[in-house]
Amino acid sequence: MLLLAVSFFTFALGYYGPGDPVQVLMGQHSNPEVVARIRHERGLDRPFFEQYLRYVWRALHGDFGESYKFQGQSVGELIPRKVLVSAQLGLAALAISIVMGIPLGLMAAVKQGTWLDTGIVSATLLGVSSPVFVTAPALLFLLAYKLHFLPSYGWGGLFDAHIIMPALVLGIPPIAGLTRLMRASTLDVIGQDYVRTARAKGLLERTVLSRHIARNAILPVFTVIGLSLATLVEGAFITETFFGIPGIGRLTVDSLFARDYPVIMALTLLVAVAYIIANLVVDIGYTFLDPRIRYG
Amino acid sequence: MKRVTIAIVSLIVVLVLVFSSLAPGCKGSKAGPAGGATPAATRVITGAGELTLLSDDPPTLDPALAGDTTSASYIVEIFSGLVTINRELKVVPDIAERWDISDDGKTYTFYLHPNVKFHDGKEVKASDFKYSMERACNPSTESIVADTYLGDIVGAKDMLSGKASEVRGIQVIDDTTLQIEIDAAKPYFLAKLTYPTAFVVDNANVKSRNLTSKPNGTGPFKLKQWQRGEKIVLEANENYYGGVVKLKRVNFLLAGGSSMTMYENGEVDITGVGLTDIERVLDPANPLNKELVVASELSVGYVGFNCTMPPFDDVKVRQAFNHAVDKEKIIEVVLKELVDPAKGILPPGMPGYNEGLKGLEYDPVKAKRLIAESKYKDVANFPAITISIPGTGAAVPPTSEAIIEMWKVNLGVEVKIQQVEWATYLDDLKRHKFHMFEVGWIADYPDPQDFLDLLFHSNSLENNAGYSNPEVDRLLEQARVEKDINARLRIYQQVEQMIVNDAPWLPLWHGKSYLLVKPYVKGFYPAPMTIPMFKDVYIEGK
Repeated sequence: MLLLAVSFFTFALGYYGPGDPVQVLMGQHSNPEVVARIRHERGLDRPFFEQYLRYVWRALHGDFGESYKFQGQSVGELIPRKVLVSAQLGLAALAISIVMGIPLGLMAAVKQGTWLDTGIVSATLLGVSSPVFVTAPALLFLLAYKLHFLPSYGWGGLFDAHIIMPALVLGIPPIAGLTRLMRASTLDVIGQDYVRTARAKGLLERTVLSRHIARNAILPVFTVIGLSLATLVEGAFITETFFGIPGIGRLTVDSLFARDYPVIMALTLLVAVAYIIANLVVDIGYTFLDPRIRYG
Repeated sequence: MKRVTIAIVSLIVVLVLVFSSLAPGCKGSKAGPAGGATPAATRVITGAGELTLLSDDPPTLDPALAGDTTSASYIVEIFSGLVTINRELKVVPDIAERWDISDDGKTYTFYLHPNVKFHDGKEVKASDFKYSMERACNPSTESIVADTYLGDIVGAKDMLSGKASEVRGIQVIDDTTLQIEIDAAKPYFLAKLTYPTAFVVDNANVKSRNLTSKPNGTGPFKLKQWQRGEKIVLEANENYYGGVVKLKRVNFLLAGGSSMTMYENGEVDITGVGLTDIERVLDPANPLNKELVVASELSVGYVGFNCTMPPFDDVKVRQAFNHAVDKEKIIEVVLKELVDPAKGILPPGMPGYNEGLKGLEYDPVKAKRLIAESKYKDVANFPAITISIPGTGAAVPPTSEAIIEMWKVNLGVEVKIQQVEWATYLDDLKRHKFHMFEVGWIADYPDPQDFLDLLFHSNSLENNAGYSNPEVDRLLEQARVEKDINARLRIYQQVEQMIVNDAPWLPLWHGKSYLLVKPYVKGFYPAPMTIPMFKDVYIEGK
């Protein structure tokens, strides 16, 4: 249902919105006769519902059409490879955010009020305030250009040095959010009765922390992380272009400006599907994490 | 703790496994070797040496479909046609070794080189050319360029509109002789044949649907590899009819990245230079300065006035707006001398370029006087004026800001800026909705007709300014069929002066391309038009 609504809305916007893909292809040379002829060849002059239904029918059979800009290239070939690249990068960035953010948040809460707490919160604030177009060149200059530590460009997969800098650039800003969330959640949990009980029982502080505090504090954070899994398919235009990563970010932006509707539709649907799956993952995950929540 | 750990850890592990196992061919997508460690050639070795540079994904590699420069730049290396352009921008033989033109200027007879072969060894025949051009004119090919480049051929338009199943103006006389008849004696027709639309393709290659993935072309290079968004590798064609290709391979890195940084890091061999780096590259004390190569771009940037909308319906107002702008100052201060000021329409290097053209020079006093002489008498009587600029950012280009400021200071006119995203901009431009607009034009083929006729004839679709001058129209129509080349160029020069005086435009500048080329790259020539660039390049002294 959601997918139909999303696809309908996107299709309508494309159909009725200004700008025409054939005209963009022809640039200033666009000749109304030629534009009309090619639109006719491609079926773009058919009534709205006919085009939309044809699209849905084909999509259900796995045919998402051919790109208008990359003439002749099927959308099904164009997108998956790039999405996988962006997803890997996104995953690495997410891993960095989680690995840093959660422990930092926990620590900040446990040492609430101390200089460690303030220090962590300020440092993450710095991280989230630095825009990509500042951190990316800074890292590039330092690590690739000056120290020759890392390669400046290109892509080698998930376990390759090329991923380090872009993953840092993308992974550091979200740390702030995760840290704060974890911190707030932990503080909330620390104030609960069962924590006092656990301490009263004489358990080691470490055990209290791991068995009672962390496990419960992590629930809201888990929701956020789970939903953000959907963004793995979105790609990050600036970072990808800057580091030469063949991801989906650049294609997305280019398609919008070129009015490459088949690609735009496919990407929009992909993101919608990703959010649906992420939602499911979070819901299911909850049943494992929180014994109070059981379905059925 | 256990259940939480297991759940999260297993989720991450699963995701990692899924993604890394699904990611296809990641090993093959490593960037060019860092530090420039390509196999060295210390003397000129034929068929050795690699060149690496940054580029963009071509929208297509099909010669019948390509309408943009990026696609064309690859296509001219892999495919070729009857004629091409040399460094002096003259049309010279390519697969056709010579040609005859009939007395009435309408029939061209091309004599092909014997023994020109496709990459797979198959011989090229005249019938292959007829096939290729008809394929471009076939409506089911959906070519957006066939009308422009092949439309003058008799019968081409009929085939494009579905009225005919062949182009009767193209005749195969025998295996090495091809005859083409055009609808009028247009001397610029030959120049149009230098563009990919007229190139030859192998019909077996097309039928097997491998034209763009495993192209069987005739050009100096073969397509070795194309990974979209990652790289394109061209390899030398050892059987190239046009001579020995000295390079072994050209690598194009497509994923983006900072070209200047990579050049300085030794990861690419050629790079363009932009506004942010131009100052240090132009500085003679900087070692990069020795590696700088400058080429004209055959383009013109301009502000166009909508001649049908007040106040630009009065020629004196348009002239005043011209005289009020100090282009040299803008180029010096804002553009750091990156471009050349334009007095007129034709860029330097274009046949017919007139050094002696009288432009509308910066003269604020004259500008104010012209306003007073116009039918509006005073700028207070002007309607509100808006200039439309293509773009998407919140920031307006500093050059536009400078121009608008000059109009304000020198004329007392406040011009509003409207920034419109490109696809919408194009739409509105074509409908003549804009008051004033800023845009550019770059040559499709090296003939003044491409600028003066296409942009200023009153019936032309590309006449964005809505300019109409019957005398100019008459001269342009005369020039279309004038056989004597010098007479023809003189007509165009006369027309250009008339247009400049009528001021439908404020011509701003002619572009130049600035490139840095490593000293061990020899034979590289940055042509202002899209012609094969790598067949004469070789690596020496690396």
